[in-house]
Order: sequence, then structure tokens, then C-alpha cells
Amino acid sequence: MPNPDMRPGDVILRCERLDRTFVSRDAGENRVLQDINFEMRKGEFVVLIGPSGCGKSTLLNIIAGFDRQTAGRALIDGRPIAGPGPDKAMVFQDYALLPWLNARENIEIGLKMQRIPAARRTETALRYLGLVGLAEAAERPVYKLSGGMQQRVSIARALALEPKVLLMDEPFGALDAFQRAIMHRELVRIWRATQATIIFVTHSLEEAVFLGERVVAMTPKAVGLTGELRIDMPRPRDPLSPEFAAVKRRLYEMITAHLPEEVDVFAD
Amino acid sequence: MSMKSATADESLQTSLPKPAAKPAGASAGGTALASLAPALLGLVVPGAFLLVWWGVVAAGVFPPSVLPSPFTVAAAAFDWAFGNPQNGGYSGTLAQAIWASSQRVLLGYGIAMVLGVAIGVPTGASKLMGHLVDPFIHLLRPIPVTAWVPLSLVFFGFGFKGAVFLVALGSFFPIVVNTIEGVRGANRSLVKVGRMLGARGWRLLWYFILPASLPSIFVGLRLGMGISWVLIIVAEMMSVKSGIGYTLLDAYSFGRFDVVIAAMIVLGVMGFLSDRVIVAVQSVVLRWHREVSIHAES
Ligand SMILES: Nc1ncnc2c1ncn2[C@@H]1O[C@H](COP(=O)(O)OP(=O)(O)OP(=O)(O)O)[C@@H](O)[C@H]1O
Ligand SMILES: [Mg+2]
Repeated sequence: MPNPDMRPGDVILRCERLDRTFVSRDAGENRVLQDINFEMRKGEFVVLIGPSGCGKSTLLNIIAGFDRQTAGRALIDGRPIAGPGPDKAMVFQDYALLPWLNARENIEIGLKMQRIPAARRTETALRYLGLVGLAEAAERPVYKLSGGMQQRVSIARALALEPKVLLMDEPFGALDAFQRAIMHRELVRIWRATQATIIFVTHSLEEAVFLGERVVAMTPKAVGLTGELRIDMPRPRDPLSPEFAAVKRRLYEMITAHLPEEVDVFAD
Repeated sequence: MSMKSATADESLQTSLPKPAAKPAGASAGGTALASLAPALLGLVVPGAFLLVWWGVVAAGVFPPSVLPSPFTVAAAAFDWAFGNPQNGGYSGTLAQAIWASSQRVLLGYGIAMVLGVAIGVPTGASKLMGHLVDPFIHLLRPIPVTAWVPLSLVFFGFGFKGAVFLVALGSFFPIVVNTIEGVRGANRSLVKVGRMLGARGWRLLWYFILPASLPSIFVGLRLGMGISWVLIIVAEMMSVKSGIGYTLLDAYSFGRFDVVIAAMIVLGVMGFLSDRVIVAVQSVVLRWHREVSIHAES
């Protein structure tokens, strides 16, 4: 659905020698991102994985336009990213829905900001609510929805913007294991239905292997991205299958190869 | 925002028929009693208070001229409200007193509300305005408003204007401070969302920051209203020759403690009612903002 003028496979996002250094009075300089080179094609589902504090959110915030790199370039569709906007829609971990609006209105408000006429707004909002399986809940206030339902509204809101990239920063972190499993399947279905381009941040190996076409690993204080794994496993993927376990193992080895002995980054 | 991660879909739950454990009559009676019980419980302490008051008066602990019985107070209040003004004294002057005080409160409070929100929103929204206005507000705020009375008398004289000034000044601070805090503290991620959705400038303020800060603004409005009633009494005791505060002091000077207590009760009721009005307005405004956000300006 997004960007009919683009062909699948075109490069949509490019980061070149990206640096991000935080300077604070007490901690001095903190170089979080160092020489990040990263490219993404239209329709790809990329999972960004790494331990807490390695800079995943920092990278995502730069791509979303909420933050700026200290060196290097970040381009969407060939143009430098110059601030947040509907072409880079983010799904937040805390949903960030407007509590004074109902589910449908939470989606419509984004379309309204795009100055889309009211009738088309409603129609679009309902279509995307249906896509995330919430047609029934359209008129309900969002604070009365369960966490999983709220996150679906948030995903629908982002999709309705028909963004060039959909950014998801640990979107299912606040959900319990059951809801998360349901949302994983839903997300794969939605991705296939919309052919959206997705960057999904997580520190769960399982999540990464279940969702990703390509998993990109980050480790703290490393120069650049530390590894990349293409996952061609057919879908739906079975998390209990030996193939799944094997891919998970390869991913684990790829990440831990860069760490000193006796450090388990997934100890939490 | 509620962050519960309930596993069950509530729409499923509500659509299920309720189990009928009890016969309908018994369960209806039970819920009626259950909803009545808190109201009745709330009456226990005031009732006990009245009883003790009456007991103390009946036992003659204080002379009845200083501490009248609840019945004397009720009679005084009735006469104040409904007595024939021709009888002189306080008879039938209550409505006049309420009107005199309310007028000043409404005008002073209205000024404070307009100024407080008009100054608070840009101060909270813009860094530059914050740097300009913040220090001044925090410098003035610790000065008790009653300390302004002499200056107020000099500039606005004895009477209406002075009273309105004190009310406006006193209620301005809680309103402006809570507006600033509300706008400044408007949920970070909601502001991020607004910018992500493409809202800038006024639209960001109107559709995202302002609604998010309305609850805090209303906290300021309620605090301001409470302070208004304190200050109107101060002003009327010091410098104005009408209103409930004036009646209260006047009654004191004539030793009419039944009227003093009746006036106190009237003040309590006025304060309570004006707070209820703000709460009612709040629910309407929040509702209205919702309607405007989504339906207007298509
Ligand atoms: N605004 C900021 N100012 C200073 N330092 C920051 C800021 N934001 C992030 N950092 C630092 O950058 C590093 C990476 O943070 P980031 O939030 O990107 O990690 P993350 O990989 O998303 O971690 P998590 O998995 O816990 O979300 C941390 O050391 C953090 O302290
Ligand atoms: Mg993060």
C-alpha cells in the first residue's frame, strides 16, 4: 500500500557512516553509534537486535527524525532526514495513544494532520482497524482496551500514514507472553498484506528469528553493526522446530562472538 | 495512560450474559443498599459532630451567646435567608450578601483564569518565554497574597476594585503555575506522536499539547477557586462594606455568633458548589475538545 510509485526492492533507507555522540556534563562524551552503515530495501522486514544500552533506540530515533546524528548521513528515499514526519511512522513501546480519543479517532487524527478530508479519514481508519483485527472496537475509548489491543491501534495508526518505513521500538515489550505470540503472528500477516517496510527493534532472539527476513546485530561500544543474518525460513515459522532453534543458535553465536568470555548479554 | 496488559478481551466479557446467582429481587435490593451505604456512612461523622456540639451547648460549657446551639444557628440562617428585610438586622439579606461576594469572586477569578492560561500556555510551550516569565512568577508567588492588602488599598481603594484585585492575584498563581507545568509536562511521547503525525506549531499545541495539559490546567482552576473564596473574605473583612465576609465580621462585632456560624456554613457551601461547577465544566470541556479535535475543520 505505501508509495505506489516505488518498486519493491528499491533502496528506501540508507545510513552512511552514522555517528551519534552524547555529551553530558557529568558523564562526558558517550559515543553510542559509531560508523553505522546500513541499507534497507522497500518491503523488507529487518530486525535490529542487541543488548540493552547498545543504541538501538538511538538509531531508530535518528531514522524517525526525533534525534540527529553527530556525523554521517541518514537518507530516506534519497533525501536526508530532516525531522519527524508521517513518512517514518513509529510504533512506540508505550503505545502513546491519545487517551481523549477513541480507537478510530486515534487513527483519524493522523490523517487529519495530513489534511485528508473527513469522509476519507473515517473510511481509511476503519479499513486499518479491520486490518489489525479491531473493527469491533472502533468506537471504544482507547484506555478501555487491553494492552495488546492498544498496541494494535498504534500499529493501525502508523500503517494508515502509509509510511516509507515503519519503525517499531520493542513494541510488544509491555505485553504478556500470550499476547506477544499473537501479535507476532498478526504482524507477519499485516506485513505481508501491506508490503510495509519494517524495522523492528528487540533484544529477544526468539522474536528476531520469528519475525525477521534479515536480522542486524548491534553490540555496545562496537564500531558499526556487528553482524547480519538473512533468515529464509518459510512462514509461518514454528518456534519449537529444530530449524528455528538452529537459526537462533547461529544468531546467538554471531552476537556473542564479539563479546569477551563469560559475558552473557541476554542474562536478563 | 493505563498500561494494564489484560489478557481477556473486554468486549467478549461484556457480551456474555451475567450469571444469575441470586433471585432478581434480592440482588436488586442488595445493590440499592450497597450504593446507599457509602452515602449513609458519610453522614455518621457529621451527625456525631452535631450531636456533640448540641451536647456541649446543653451542658452549658460555654455561654450560649458565644456558642449557640445548632438549632439557634439554623434559625439564624433561616432568618438571614428568608426573614423580612423590614425587620432590620440581618433578616433577608443573605441573597444580597451572596451576590455581592460572588460578583467579586467571579470577576477576579475570571481575570485570573484568562491571564493565567494566556500567560501559562506560551510560557510552558516556549523555552524563551519560560526563561523570561518563570523567574518572575516564582519570585512573586511566595509573597502571601494577604501581604498585598496595603498596596491594594493604595492602588484600588476600599471597595469593589480592591477585592477583585486580591481575588485575581491570589487565584492567578495556582492557575498559571499549573498551566505551565501541564503544558511543559504534556506527556513527552504524545508530543512525539504529534510531530510524527506531521503536526507543527499551532496544530501541535491545539491537538496534542493542550488536551494533554487540560487535566493539569483544571487542577490549577480548582485550586484558584478555593483561594478565591479565602481572599474574598479577607478583602471583605478589611475593606468592603458588603458580602458574606463583611456580614461575618459585622456579626462578630455585635456578638451574634449564631450569624457568624451561619456565615461560615454558607461559605463552605459556596466553596463546595463552585468547585462542583468547575468539575462539571471540566467534563464538558474535555468532551468538547474531543469533538473539535476530530470532527471540525475537515
Ligand atoms: N538523550 C540522551 N542523552 C544522553 N545519553 C543518551 C541519551 N539517549 C540515550 N543515551 C545513551 O545512549 C546509550 C544507548 O541508549 P539506547 O536507548 O539507544 O539503547 P537501547 O539499545 O535502545 O537500549 P534498550 O534495549 O534498553 O532500549 C545508553 O548508554 C544511553 O545512556
Ligand atoms: Mg531502546
